[in-house]
Amino acid sequence: MEPLLKVENLRIELTTRAGVAPVIDNLSFELGAGESISFVGESGCGKSMTALSIMGLLPEKVGRIASGSITFNGEELTTASPKRLRDIRGNDISMIFQEPMTSLNPVYTVGEQIAEVIRAHQGLSRKAAWNQAVELLDAVRIPNAKGRVSDYPFQMSGGQRQRVMIAIALACEPKILIADEPTTALDVTVQAQIFDLLNDMKRQTGASIIMITHDMGAVAEMAERMIVMYAGRKAEEGPVEQIIEHPRHPYTRGLISCVPHIMSSISQERHALTEVPGIVPSLSDFGQNRCLFASRCNMVTQKCVDERPPEKPFANGQKAACWFAEEV
Amino acid sequence: MSNETLVSVENLGVRFAVKRGGGWGKASYLYAVDDVSFEIKRGETLAIVGESGSGKTTTALAVARLVEAYQGKVNLDGTDFLSLDDEASRLARAKMQFIFQDPYSSLNPRLRAEQIVREPLDSLSTMDEAEKKEIVDRLFAEVGLRPEQQRLFPHQFSGGQRQRIGIARALATQPDLIICDEAVSALDVAVQAQILNLLRKLQADLNLTYLFISHDLGVVQHMCDSIAVMYMGRVVEHGTRMDLFNNPLHPYTSALLSAVPSVDKARREATKRILIPGDPPDPVNLPAGCRFANRCPVAQDICRSQDPALRDVKGGHKVACHLVGEDAVSPL
Repeated sequence: MEPLLKVENLRIELTTRAGVAPVIDNLSFELGAGESISFVGESGCGKSMTALSIMGLLPEKVGRIASGSITFNGEELTTASPKRLRDIRGNDISMIFQEPMTSLNPVYTVGEQIAEVIRAHQGLSRKAAWNQAVELLDAVRIPNAKGRVSDYPFQMSGGQRQRVMIAIALACEPKILIADEPTTALDVTVQAQIFDLLNDMKRQTGASIIMITHDMGAVAEMAERMIVMYAGRKAEEGPVEQIIEHPRHPYTRGLISCVPHIMSSISQERHALTEVPGIVPSLSDFGQNRCLFASRCNMVTQKCVDERPPEKPFANGQKAACWFAEEV
Repeated sequence: MSNETLVSVENLGVRFAVKRGGGWGKASYLYAVDDVSFEIKRGETLAIVGESGSGKTTTALAVARLVEAYQGKVNLDGTDFLSLDDEASRLARAKMQFIFQDPYSSLNPRLRAEQIVREPLDSLSTMDEAEKKEIVDRLFAEVGLRPEQQRLFPHQFSGGQRQRIGIARALATQPDLIICDEAVSALDVAVQAQILNLLRKLQADLNLTYLFISHDLGVVQHMCDSIAVMYMGRVVEHGTRMDLFNNPLHPYTSALLSAVPSVDKARREATKRILIPGDPPDPVNLPAGCRFANRCPVAQDICRSQDPALRDVKGGHKVACHLVGEDAVSPL
């Protein structure tokens, strides 16, 4: 069966003062209907750029799709007209952003902002759209939705604002929901509520979810498959359980073991955390024909510096772009 | 490790006057920190955890006298820090230093790294230039920065390196207590691991005592010896790391721990997520009983009428909940 979303050999170039750099370098992946995948990596690895390119929201004049294709339901998005993209955005693919404070308009009530989407995409009357906004607020579990629908964003807590964002994103029952660090700005108990809500919505509407995060725990909780990004390239891809159990890329291994996780039982002794030395390379180093993780890797050899490693597939569905993936 | 208590905080309270409804009405108070007490032993780490608005940062600021407490004591090595006059408290700060959350805004962009690290010595010590130089050199080595980096300005460093400068600055006056307020929250996970390892190494080498403020329970679990959980300005549970993580007693602590997503499959399967609905109450008009009662899954009538006190239920494990009996069993 044809996947719902198919990204092939995508290359996105950003024009910076230092020149043109590939922020996304030959990325391919697929997303099936009703599937949830996660993009993981440190800041500056190209996670958000991937999301923006699918939405057709790359920063104008700075970022552009240099090559590759993005097909949604068989339709090519990279060459679609702005009008067609506007139709798809919000209707078929929608997005929730990290900052629930800054992504809502402070001078409109939340009801107006939800109703706007419904009117624009479904052509409903003001009254009908407003009523649907109330229903949506209720669906994202905001108590007293009828009263709160006339509130302005500042009258709501961070968690409530993120629920409003989710209500807006889900207003037209999209087939794909992209969530870019949806809970990073929120407290853990609120994060748990939001995850719970997203999972429920997914069950009800059958939407696919792409979640972008840096938190491996959140990935384990929310996704079936994950893609680890490093310096604009896919480092590893595969089923979440398998990767956490046995990562095949040294970067993935580092990402998992450098975080102090709460395990099922806490023991008295504590080991030093595994360090991944150094930091993510700067944009000007992207795109070179070598492994970009080599400078931080403890398994580095000459081969890693000489040539970019190809993606190696494993029988269990994992793929890792490392010359020594079998040995990791 | 000694058993000596370095810091003891007694009945600390911080309140902010807030006006509601406009007009000439009397100001009401928001009790950001309400009757908070805890002790930290020398060489150990106490973590204060809680969500935004729980009062954990205000507690840290009040301990360092960076906000005014309206009541309470902060005994540091036997002296009540809060009762000192301005000059004495300024000098006493040498014993208590702060590492801030944001490594970008907490360093003066116009000073070179060496000047930033030397500044506490300039204002708090009587050393001559050569001695200061020697200390700065040593500090740079201790936090893992190269000697030639002393001449650089903050913008020439990465986030993790800046946090190392912040740590070197905090160590300059050889403090007993270092308050880390979300010291690694702004860093990427790989860099976070580097800084956490550095903090633990420095603690072991220099016998430092940390007051560690964080919302990240994974980090807290790794760093602390004991934990105080705050909710709405109060400490609701206080105990050792093992007590808190393996036998949480307050329903809020249990909910907080259960909300942390985990990569450990065994933990995910063993933990039943306790969702706490709704939001915390209005901090200015607090309810009569327990502040958690409106979200607590097991609240009884007594919880809505009587404010529970923090009491010792089992060998130093303290909890403020009516429903935890002498048997120290979670009411959930």
